[in-house]
Amino acid sequence: MSTLSATGAASQRRAFARRRAGGPGQAARYAILTVGAAVMLLPFAYMLSTSFKSQAYVLTLPPQFIPHPATVSNYTDAWTSHDFARYFVNSLVVAVCTTALSLLLSSMMAYAFARFAFPGRELLYKVLLLGLMIPAMMLIIPQFVLAKYLGLLDSLTGLVVFYVGGSLPLNTFLLRGFFAAIPGELEQAMLVDGAGAWTRYRRLILPLAKPALATATIFTFLASWDEFAWSLTIINTPSKQTLPLAIALFQGENSTLWGLVFAASVIAVVPVIVVFLLFQRYFVQGLTAGAVKG
Amino acid sequence: MNRRHGSALALGAAALCASLLGACSSASTPGTSSGPVTLTFWGTYGNGGNKTQTDALNNTIIPAFEKANPDIKIQYVDIPYDSMLQKLTTGAAGGQLPDLVRADLGWVPKLGALGVFAALDEKMSDYKALAAADYPGTVATNLFGGHYYGLPLDTNTRVLISNPDALKAAGIAAPPATFDELKADAPKLAAKKVSAFADSGLQGWNVYPWIWSAGGSVTNADQTKATGYLNSPASVAGVQLLVDLYKSGEIPNLITGDKGATQTSDGLPKGQYANILDGPWMTGIWSGQYPTFKPVYSPVPAGPGGSISVTGGEDIVMTSASAHQDAAEKFIRFTQSATFQLAMAKTGQMSVVQALGDQEAAASPELAPFIKQLATAKPRPSVPQAPQIDTVLQDDLTPAFTGSESVQAALDKAAADIDPLLTETH
Amino acid sequence: MMTAQNPVMLDSAAPADAGAAGPGPAPRAGRAPWRRRTAPARTALLFLAPGFLLFLGLIVYPMVRAFQMSFYDWNIVAGSVSRFIGVDNYTRAFHDPVFWRAAANSAVYMAFTVPPQIVLGFLVAALLNNKAPGRAVYRVLFYLPVVTSWVVVSLLFQYLFADSGLVNWMLHDVTHLTGHPTSWLAGRWTGMVAVSALGVWKGVGWSMVIFLAALQGVPKQLLEAAQMDGANAWQRFRAVTLPAVRPALLFVTVMLVIGGFNVFTSVLLMTGGGPADSTQVLLTYMYQQAFKNLDFGYGSSIAVVLTLFVFVLSVVQLRVFRGDEQETA
Repeated sequence: MSTLSATGAASQRRAFARRRAGGPGQAARYAILTVGAAVMLLPFAYMLSTSFKSQAYVLTLPPQFIPHPATVSNYTDAWTSHDFARYFVNSLVVAVCTTALSLLLSSMMAYAFARFAFPGRELLYKVLLLGLMIPAMMLIIPQFVLAKYLGLLDSLTGLVVFYVGGSLPLNTFLLRGFFAAIPGELEQAMLVDGAGAWTRYRRLILPLAKPALATATIFTFLASWDEFAWSLTIINTPSKQTLPLAIALFQGENSTLWGLVFAASVIAVVPVIVVFLLFQRYFVQGLTAGAVKG
Repeated sequence: MNRRHGSALALGAAALCASLLGACSSASTPGTSSGPVTLTFWGTYGNGGNKTQTDALNNTIIPAFEKANPDIKIQYVDIPYDSMLQKLTTGAAGGQLPDLVRADLGWVPKLGALGVFAALDEKMSDYKALAAADYPGTVATNLFGGHYYGLPLDTNTRVLISNPDALKAAGIAAPPATFDELKADAPKLAAKKVSAFADSGLQGWNVYPWIWSAGGSVTNADQTKATGYLNSPASVAGVQLLVDLYKSGEIPNLITGDKGATQTSDGLPKGQYANILDGPWMTGIWSGQYPTFKPVYSPVPAGPGGSISVTGGEDIVMTSASAHQDAAEKFIRFTQSATFQLAMAKTGQMSVVQALGDQEAAASPELAPFIKQLATAKPRPSVPQAPQIDTVLQDDLTPAFTGSESVQAALDKAAADIDPLLTETH
Repeated sequence: MMTAQNPVMLDSAAPADAGAAGPGPAPRAGRAPWRRRTAPARTALLFLAPGFLLFLGLIVYPMVRAFQMSFYDWNIVAGSVSRFIGVDNYTRAFHDPVFWRAAANSAVYMAFTVPPQIVLGFLVAALLNNKAPGRAVYRVLFYLPVVTSWVVVSLLFQYLFADSGLVNWMLHDVTHLTGHPTSWLAGRWTGMVAVSALGVWKGVGWSMVIFLAALQGVPKQLLEAAQMDGANAWQRFRAVTLPAVRPALLFVTVMLVIGGFNVFTSVLLMTGGGPADSTQVLLTYMYQQAFKNLDFGYGSSIAVVLTLFVFVLSVVQLRVFRGDEQETA
């Protein structure tokens, strides 16, 4: 880069600003980003387009990007077969309840880990983190026996309870870091005013941690929405099945109806994207807040 | 947001959750002993968006049964085929199984041996009479250790299905009726960039028709030994036919397990494949997806052993844990009746009852080639380790196709690997 | 059911250093450090109890039971007696060629997916690290694959990598880069490439967001000072940016490694572990043993070995990174 004369910081800052405002560097930047974004989007676009095709046009070469003839029969078939609407509602109820409960419990745990010292704190924390490394499939049989013992089989409650348990390590880990970074003075001030732990937690920590909570919301919601193995295992009544099961049922032994599978997938993806878009502005807050703190 | 409102909202959400979940789970409390008994019945009828079979079940069969038995209700649950065994496993481990299962043939000895399925020959007094009415090959699939753990529910077999347009374009008048005709047709089809034959794997369901039609066999009569049978010269010849076609590029690598290759259900109607082996359910599937395609059905190409295909199908079993065994037995009896068998036959689930064969053919003429093939079709070994045998076949035969082993060596190894599996009980 | 393949989707808007680097925030200049209250440990335990008890009961206890199962020839039927066989399952795994192949494939998957996600994620984050308009849109677009379900994208990529699918069309028919269409899902290495492509595509947005947050925390004054001293871009990066994002780098690496070893759905749906067990990874092999062969004891032993691998790897990574930190501090 250029060596600087002694004209001073001011002109250097002006040079900085000029570089940022525009020019070929900026254009190249946008070009690369656009290519990258296109690569991210292309599979989705193709999935969307295939969902409007009938089976005969599905794996043709050259691939059809714009379906012709286009049909909405995949969507109507997906929605009307197998009680799809009910699966959708089941998944929604389970995901919302799981997210709410998980946020509550993990934020409480994170507060305890971040703001208090007590014997065995690090040990308990490490035990919690161990939960991150265990493959879930391995636990299914003992969990099934446990669920039977607790009377939770074939129920949406059974889904929620176990989903919450499985989400606690990750959410607590995420939230602890954020809580710990909140300046202590604010809490100290409240303490001086006589506020108890619960009040400090509810009035101070939670509102300040909105970005982290928003992040945890997105992920817990998604994991619950997407979960298949446990739901398949404990749910027997058709009216209680969840959405991933519906998509799996579209894969037949003898043929896979790609159009139907993708139509169902598109319907299934919509709520997650909605949740993401709703909460993603908190990412912005969290990120710019981080920038201001420097 | 005002903090007080925030907590009220949170509490409200929690209450809503609790009530919603409560409503959903309370609906599952089992019925009391007085009042109608509800039998849960697990099956895979509706997989793949297939509505014809679940419609027959829900609109014709179950109402007929419930009308004749007002104190019994049937609740049918559709499970994805790939996950059914997992679900039965966890259900067995947790002691939470349905009353009735439409079980794949390969699972019955396995789960019967473990005690998951009830021994029907002991429970049902009229078992012998019911079994005698069915094709013997289908009954044999329920046998293990001297007991029968189910009754045949439906059967099917594979015949040769061809794309007449693809054949005509290559100058071939009719589907190959013998091994030699298939070999002769292959180069003509290859010239038009069409595969002479395609199949989706190398498991028993796929290769046994070729082995048997070549005059070979898989095991000895009492299913205790494979060496000397599976690797006999005739068996080798059957597999060699496929390997030769594969190596000259006339069979696609779908057969060695390429999940990215076009499936037979799409490749045949599209004219990529000229011939496949498949079952009666395809008619229904193709009429929906490829309405202009008119498949041609003919017997499995004959070799020195004749034209011999493999039987498939499902059995109906009752779980030993069922709390409503009398009611379940009533439904099992019902599945052997003409109402059930013929209604399902229309959807491609062929009847297991021999006496219904003529009625079946009359009602569904497209089943005629299959009924004919059934007469000589043989069952796969019905032992508890049947799924493992399929895995061994797929793993050990693949090198013969991909070129690193001779067919004889591959079959020698497969037979050696299968011998212990034939006599293991779990 | 929530732990497999979940960690890849973790996001942290918070500076990841706060959690990973140790307890408590760095002291603010000019103020006394915040001291945690030592008195009401009981309050802390009250906060901790509900969640932790749930965790112990629903996760730890089943884990212990699964560990126990690995020492038995486990009979799946409820109430039946299983035969105790000691470490036989483990010695069987040791001698099982498919087990070692699965372990190798898991390592290969990690090698193919972790570096690209780190490098590409950082690159995109660096490109987005300014106040240019439209930045939010790009962030959302890159993040979209992260929030889509594994089942859906695995089916989607199986479709894309099919013999007559989009990838072959682009490589063969359009750009003629390959001589003939590749059967991606038919071979070990091509299959791993396809599965890894999915892994990278799905995960880049996640590491991007973490790095973006970390880059926001790079001290601008130091950057400007370095520039004034005549440092070029690479030197500024090495001296200022890299140390500032090091905690985020550690976090991302550890999480990606854990996620890589836990890959399951994508392999199961795209290749099924085949053909002939050539693309098995540890979790799909465990699944096959437990649910296809009904051999739960053996399946559990594979899972235990996998958990050990992951644990040891994570500890090693933490040690290495911490060690480096202390040297340069």
